[in-house]
Amino acid sequence: MTRYLLGQAVSFVVTLWVVLTLVFVGMRALPGDAATILGGMDAGAEQIAAIRERLGLAGSWGAQYVGFLGDVVRGDLGDSLRERRPVTAVLLDRLPVTLALASLAFVISLVIGVGLGMLAGLRPGGAVDRFTTLFATAALALPEFWFGFLLILFFAVDLGWFPVIGLPPSGLSWQASWHLLLPAFTLAIPRSAQVARLTRALVLEQRRADYVRTARSKGLTGGAVARHIASNALPGVLPLLALELGGLLTGTIVVEQVFGLPGLGATILGAISARDYPVVQGVTVLAVVVYVGVNWLADLLQLAADPRLRTA
Amino acid sequence: MEQARLYHRSPARRRWRSVLFAVAFAAVLGSATAQTLTLAMSAQPDTLDPQLTSATAAFQVAKSIYDTLVEVDRNGEIVPALAESYEVGDDALSYTFHLVETTFHDGTPLDAQDVVATLDRIRDPDTASPKASEFQAITSVEAVDDRTVVVHLSEPAPALIASLASGWGAILPSEKVASGHDFGNEPVGTGPFSFVSWQRDNAVTLAANPDYYQGAPQVDEVVIRFVPDSAVQLQGLMTGEFQVIDTVAAADQELIESNPDLELVRDPSGLALVAALNTRREALADPRVRQALNLAVDSQTVLDVAYGGGTPIGTFMEAGSPWMPDDVEPFGFDPEAARALLAEAGWDSGVTLDLALPQPYENHIQAGQMIQDYLRDVGVNAEIRIVEWGVWLSDIYAGAHDYDITVIGHTGKLDPTGRLDGYGTEATNYPGFDDPEVAQWLEEGASETDVSARREVYANVLRRLHEGAPFIYLGTPSRVHARAANLEGFWITPLLDSFDFRTAHFE
Repeated sequence: MTRYLLGQAVSFVVTLWVVLTLVFVGMRALPGDAATILGGMDAGAEQIAAIRERLGLAGSWGAQYVGFLGDVVRGDLGDSLRERRPVTAVLLDRLPVTLALASLAFVISLVIGVGLGMLAGLRPGGAVDRFTTLFATAALALPEFWFGFLLILFFAVDLGWFPVIGLPPSGLSWQASWHLLLPAFTLAIPRSAQVARLTRALVLEQRRADYVRTARSKGLTGGAVARHIASNALPGVLPLLALELGGLLTGTIVVEQVFGLPGLGATILGAISARDYPVVQGVTVLAVVVYVGVNWLADLLQLAADPRLRTA
Repeated sequence: MEQARLYHRSPARRRWRSVLFAVAFAAVLGSATAQTLTLAMSAQPDTLDPQLTSATAAFQVAKSIYDTLVEVDRNGEIVPALAESYEVGDDALSYTFHLVETTFHDGTPLDAQDVVATLDRIRDPDTASPKASEFQAITSVEAVDDRTVVVHLSEPAPALIASLASGWGAILPSEKVASGHDFGNEPVGTGPFSFVSWQRDNAVTLAANPDYYQGAPQVDEVVIRFVPDSAVQLQGLMTGEFQVIDTVAAADQELIESNPDLELVRDPSGLALVAALNTRREALADPRVRQALNLAVDSQTVLDVAYGGGTPIGTFMEAGSPWMPDDVEPFGFDPEAARALLAEAGWDSGVTLDLALPQPYENHIQAGQMIQDYLRDVGVNAEIRIVEWGVWLSDIYAGAHDYDITVIGHTGKLDPTGRLDGYGTEATNYPGFDDPEVAQWLEEGASETDVSARREVYANVLRRLHEGAPFIYLGTPSRVHARAANLEGFWITPLLDSFDFRTAHFE
């Protein structure tokens, strides 16, 4: 167990370093910097040099890289060039929106995905099974933003049940959940399709297992058998769910754009086009931490849920 | 600091004024229902510090929070604002401003020290303002008494008054300037609305300032939402979530005009839309080639299709500008003449031009595609390359000037120096236009104080820019916005494009 944790920690640090270096170099390889963009069409070379000085972009890449890594080690993500406040403050402002969206989407995809998958797997060839297959194929074939537009058109514009865009001006509040439902469904649709497919396959596999036959021969029926199947099949869904959860954060980039939500996705896109290096780096750190953390959590959960793995 | 305090008026008087305003306000409204005006805009500010930005979107929002010494009225004239009057010294080397009585949103009264602190701040190299060069003629700013400020100049600078009337001339409270206040995130001004909150990528909320020196605004709250997608803007306008939208796709104009609850407003903008031609490139070095390219493009059609309408121009100044010389006509659309001129110039039809278009601007991209077609008709090949905005700024507009043709709009300027500065010398303008005589005229124009002499100087420059054609001149597009039909009194400042909510109200 200690070896496992240590291995995880080392791989986390290496992943973080590699990703950060790539982001650092990649961002600076893009033509233009925050000073050119802030200066716009009006500032002359002299003004742009002055802005660059003010933003701390005047030094060499090497010096900036060393300074940046040192800061990260100390837990300091620097100041946003555009917003002139700490990156951590920027992230803390935006994270709740993305987190609310992602967790809502996660719950929706879990309920729909596991629900449909179980029902389909328990009655292969039935109506629910046929619907699930159709739904999964469609949901995985079509791009996310397309569902977003479709939902906006139907529920927000035609029916007028939901607001067209974004959060209320007051920001994240209980009213905001109403604003978050359509984007959460948009995110959840392709993910629930994947979960449903895997759940169905796992349930089908369990249905053929010996213990099910034994249980049935002992006279157990419907619900009780399903419970047995579920407890054996569902831990297998966990790694996929972890992947989905990590992927949700990248999925939010597109969906936040479509629905005009001020979350991390909107932040990173804005930061890239403004060449706000510290913010891009900060979001990257956060993404790596979340991704690695969630996968690690899923491993642990799977260990806890499936006693057979613990001896291995 | 103590000295400055002595000049402050008693808070009791201010309180009385607030009460009077509040009573008047309540009387006007009749009922106690709070009115919110929501506007959707497509771009968003980078900062709300008026001196640290050059972005139109920032000034559009900041306009309601801050005031300037002088401002632009609905006719585009510069009129008194925080300075109720001003005099120019005989030698044109000083400006004396007399300030109105008003207070900042933090409760401190406006006085001459605030003007001194603001103008010193924008000129300070440590501030690194993108607009600092517009104030370089100032040698010192002096507070004569609490209501009088004198700005001393090293040389006559007739364009200064335009800079003071622009968003970056916003007056900030001196106490907060001294303490290094973060105006970018928490703006404090004397404007008609005070800052409430800003959620990036979402909204800015502003509250009416009941003590506003020109009278309290008629709506209680203004919410500016950032909505990049024009289709979503339109949907929000139709469902009543927004009362004003700043972008209307050309295809949607009819839909709005046919809806009695909505109104489409078409104003002339301050933009000069051009397809810049890189005169440094061998293929484009001959002025005859550049003139031919002008003749090859039907600019009226480009304006109609890509920009939803507008007026063609024949030189580097927006249509309707008082500086536009009467005798310069747009080139007109004449592919036959274009072909003849190209043949005369010995155009090599084997050349393919690099047509670089800025990625965030859909209408420039569409215009570029149309230009590509028009050029193909006269035997000029152009290959479209779409570049991201940061790349456009650093590689095309500045730096290596890596392009043959690019499409862009130059935003409105209150004074021709803002538009034309640097267009006589190869190194200081992106098409690389070089003409020593133009450079000489521009130098004269910058310090000439006689208005008619100045007009003649700039007319010379503009005529030369027509003949030399470092641009394919497209025109000045209409600025189209849409609003709820019952909204009255909202307008967009000519040339500066900033939103004015001061007299906005619902019928």
